[in-house]
Amino acid sequence: MASPCDGTLSPTEFKFAAEALMKKWEECKSILHPWIWIPCPKLPFGAPDKAGGYLSLEHIHHFEFKKQQDCIEQKYSEEEVEALDSATLVLSGENETHYYNFHIIYSTSYKVPVLFFRGYHQGGQPLKCDEVEKDLPLYTSKLLEESKWTFITQEEHPYLNCPWFTLHPCGTSEWMRLLLQQRLYSSRPEDLCSHYLVAWFSVVGQVIGLWAPLNLVHCSSSSSSSDTFCSHT
Amino acid sequence: MAAESPATPRKVVVHLRATGDAPILKQAKFKIGGTEKFAKVIDFLRRQLHRETLFVYVNSAFSPNPDELVIDLYDNFGFDGKLVVNYACSMAWG
Repeated sequence: MASPCDGTLSPTEFKFAAEALMKKWEECKSILHPWIWIPCPKLPFGAPDKAGGYLSLEHIHHFEFKKQQDCIEQKYSEEEVEALDSATLVLSGENETHYYNFHIIYSTSYKVPVLFFRGYHQGGQPLKCDEVEKDLPLYTSKLLEESKWTFITQEEHPYLNCPWFTLHPCGTSEWMRLLLQQRLYSSRPEDLCSHYLVAWFSVVGQVIGLWAPLNLVHCSSSSSSSDTFCSHT
Repeated sequence: MAAESPATPRKVVVHLRATGDAPILKQAKFKIGGTEKFAKVIDFLRRQLHRETLFVYVNSAFSPNPDELVIDLYDNFGFDGKLVVNYACSMAWG
């Protein structure tokens, strides 16, 4: 049985949480595009999909989120730059425009949201693993060096059936439980649920260099949508 | 609490609170300049705990980007004159 109390969500709760995130995101006027719900009543291979779709944030210019982390990279990267092979050092060149698509998809096996993403050049040609790695924040690259592919892997997109990068979800419920702990006793279940994806994104966004705006936490979305909340799983 | 003039650099009291299996610090409260980045708090914790990977988050179930300014975090999540920062040692991704 899934419940935000143990860091997981049911498919209906995921949909509810997704609506809350979209609303809050719009309310806090993020510099990025809005998240959009892509309805998919059925998975292509026929299994019923109770979540009924996924969240999508597409065509994000790499520099839109890159610039947010530039300062910290400069601070930490002085000695790191030397370690890179200068012959292949083409990252962040002016003529090199990278775009990213992000999807938040419900995982029925882990009962948590999973981030899928893909990067591509201006012309649509997909970015390779090493190109994506270079676009990631420095601390993520460090983690990747230590535990390559245990944490970012390439998997088939469950709806689009082509390979996308994904953050492995097996630790998600554990840290989500930790994160939501303090709200357990003070929040109504629907509030906990509407905050779930905000809390989740604040962690996951950092890995790929996307910031969750601070005021996302204070935007209330539950009042109007709580009547659609469904707590049973 | 919000009486200071905007011109004076504000200091923020940060309360570090261990969660999960993380060790408790001898000195859990300290002052930090509001214009410092949250990364400084994380670095401090890393040094104190001798851990590279930490899971650090504020109340309201939010994990701020290390580049956020401490004063912004205080303005958004501060309560009772201090900013509570929770930390845990395990951060398993896969």
